Order: sequence, then C-alpha cells, then structure tokens
Amino acid sequence: MWKKKLYSSTPLLTILLRTSKIPKIHSPNSVSHKNITLLDPLLQTSASFSSSSSSPFVEIEGVSFPTVGGIFFGGPTFHRENVNLFTKKKNSFCSESKSAEKLQCWNCDATADGTTPFLVCQSCRSVQAVNHSIDYFQILGVERKYNIEVEKLEEKYKNWQKKLHPDLVHSKSQREREYAAEQSARVINAYRTLTDPLSRAIYILKLENVVVDEEERITDPELLAEIMELREAVEEAEGNQALNQIKAQIQDKMQYWCKSFEDAFLNKKYENAIASIQRMTYYKRANEEIIKKL
Amino acid sequence: MLRHVTNRILGQGLRLPATPAAVGGSGLPRMYHERVVDHYNHPRNVGSFDKNDEDVGTGLVGAPACGDVMKLQIKVDDETGKIVDACFKTFGCGSAIASSSLATEWVKGKKMEEVLTIKNTEIAKHLSLPPVKLHCSMLAEDAIKAAVKDYEDKHSK
Repeated sequence: MWKKKLYSSTPLLTILLRTSKIPKIHSPNSVSHKNITLLDPLLQTSASFSSSSSSPFVEIEGVSFPTVGGIFFGGPTFHRENVNLFTKKKNSFCSESKSAEKLQCWNCDATADGTTPFLVCQSCRSVQAVNHSIDYFQILGVERKYNIEVEKLEEKYKNWQKKLHPDLVHSKSQREREYAAEQSARVINAYRTLTDPLSRAIYILKLENVVVDEEERITDPELLAEIMELREAVEEAEGNQALNQIKAQIQDKMQYWCKSFEDAFLNKKYENAIASIQRMTYYKRANEEIIKKL
Repeated sequence: MLRHVTNRILGQGLRLPATPAAVGGSGLPRMYHERVVDHYNHPRNVGSFDKNDEDVGTGLVGAPACGDVMKLQIKVDDETGKIVDACFKTFGCGSAIASSSLATEWVKGKKMEEVLTIKNTEIAKHLSLPPVKLHCSMLAEDAIKAAVKDYEDKHSK
C-alpha cells in the first residue's frame, strides 16, 4: 500500500528529480525495483552515469526499503555507511521474486550472469553483500542432497576464499571490506556445515523447514541404556587400544545412522530423520570424549 | 583493622552470589555459578544401585540435542514410602551434572509424592542457571519423575 502512496505523491517526484542530478546513483537502496518505470526517464537524463549497458534500473540485491527516510538518499552529504544499513536488510516483502530478479553489482552495476552464486561481481571483482537466499549447497556448487562428495567441497571453498578473503581487500572501501568479512565467514560456515555429516543433516532438514528441537527430552530406555553403557565404557577404558576399539565401533554406528538418515530424508520420513540425527549426536559426543582421552 | 578484614570476608561472601552466572548483555564473561562449580568438583551421590533391586527406582532420561544422558536412582523404604537414598550418573555439561547432583540431595529423606512436586525452576534458581541451560534442570525434574514412576511400576505388578 505504501507503494501506491509513493506513486501518487508529488513530493516523491521532485525528490527523485533531484536525485537524478547526483552523479552516482549506485545504490538507491531505498527504491524498490517496482519503481523502475518511474525512474526510467529520470535516469536517462542523468549525465555521468555508470557504463552499464543493461537496463537502467538500479537495484541492490532486491532490497526494498519503504520508509520515507530511505528515499532521501540524495545530496552530497549522503554517507556510504548508511547504505550498508539498507543493503543488509532482507527483502521481506517479496522474497519469492529473489530468484527472478537480476542481481546487480553495487560497484559497477553489472548484472549477475546467474551461472555462479553472486558473491563476487564477475566484471569488476568487487565483493557483494551477503545474500541469505543463496544456501550453502549453492555456494559450494553441490546438489542439494545429503550424500555429497565431500572431497569436492575443499576445492570450491578455497576458490571462493581466493576471491573474497578479507586479506585481499585491505585497500578497498570500508563497505567492501565489511562485505568481504561477512561473505568469507559465510563461506567458511558453508564449508564446515557441509563437511560434517551431522551438521549437514541438520542443515538439510532446516532447508526443508524441519527444525530439530533443542529442548526436547527423551525417555527411550533402549537408546539411553545403550548410550549410558557406551559412555561408561569410554570412561572406564584403559589404554589407547581399548579406546580405539570403541572408536571403531562408534564409526560403524555413525555410518549406519548416516545411511538411515539419508533414506529417511529421501522418503521424507522426517521423524525417522530426526531420530537418526539424535543417534548421530550421541555417537558424536561419545567420540569427542574418546578423542579427549586419547 | 579487624573491621577491615571482616568487611573483606563479608564483602567476598556477598559478592559471589551476586556474580551473574551468564548474563547475556552485561558484557561479563559467561561463568558457571559457584554452586554449579561446587557440584561439578564435589558431586554428591555419584554411583549406581542395582536396578533389579526391589527397592530401587531408576530414571533414565536424555536430551538428544546436546547429547546428554542422565540416570537418577532412588532407594525407597517400602513401609514409609520415603526415599532413603539416591544416586546419579550424568554424562553432559556442568549444569546437567549439577542439576542431577542437586536433585539427589533434595530427594533424600522425602516422600515420593513430595519429590514429584520438585520443579525445574527451583533447581534452576538454586544453581542460577542461565536461560540457555534451563533444559538441564528440566532434565533433572524428568529424571526424578521417571525414577518414581519406575519404582511404582515395579510395585504395581
């Protein structure tokens, strides 16, 4: 409804007219892409504009910022820092359209080519703001399934870090340095989450909107008795040989339950999937205790 | 000078309980409350009873999200219905260990109906558990109830 207001309000037009005179309108974050038609004629009259050959609409990762305060981005006193506030916001109004939108580089206005996740601009190499709709599987270029090839992840991870590690942007703007820090952290998270089978399982369920309850308590006597015995065995084990034996047993169990999770996940039997995750968590904890003792 | 010394001792005594165990926004490092540390370093009633024993009720509970298991056992005097002894074994974080240790202390000498009224909030308050560790006290409450239930199941047959 606020959009209608914008369309009809004349003060806005004058504001936009004013802003068109500004040499660089790289990130009018406050303007939703729905206002493109309004801006079109204005932008074309602007003198020193960026060399983008594509359509003149200006867009920042699909951010639409409805407040009137946001519209007043014009003027030489506009601080770049404020821009960061806007770009970090998610587009909560039309998240569906994210995939359909053309993402544009904040620096050179080049459009994302859509072949690789838009973390870095392919033409000017500047690091982009974090886009949470790009999930970890997309970042590391693997299919969204549980049984992925973990060896391939490392290469992709390192390739990304070569492009967006914070050490590479020391001389760049404050804004780009912040983007690099966030993107780099996100890529690291992606790598860590996907390499570990348990966290990968939890993440892939989360993408399906199935969340493992943190506070849930169970009273399954068989499972708990087994885990109790296992933990006691680890406590009482003497010598590395005994510990390694138990470790090997745990590895077997982990593999079994990983497979079980995969089957449950593929068949969308989410309760079984959660049960598998619970088991894996218990085995992982036991394994950690063994490693501490070794 | 004596006053100075006593003030110092009292000051310390008063200061410690006031230390926040884990206050999020205050900027202080997250710390275990001294009572939790005490239970962790000097746990009371660690051990096992024979679960096949007639007088013993065993409560076995777990929190799968963090991989905790807690076993709490009670020894009941059949005639009076009072819990004469209790022991526990917990694999988990310091808060979980402290919660179950405290639970064994609290159930001793009480009647079974009484211990069913022990609430996790009381345990949490006594140990000054931070919000993120409240589920540990819930686990302890569940363990008490499970132990009582197990005993009653044994005796209803």
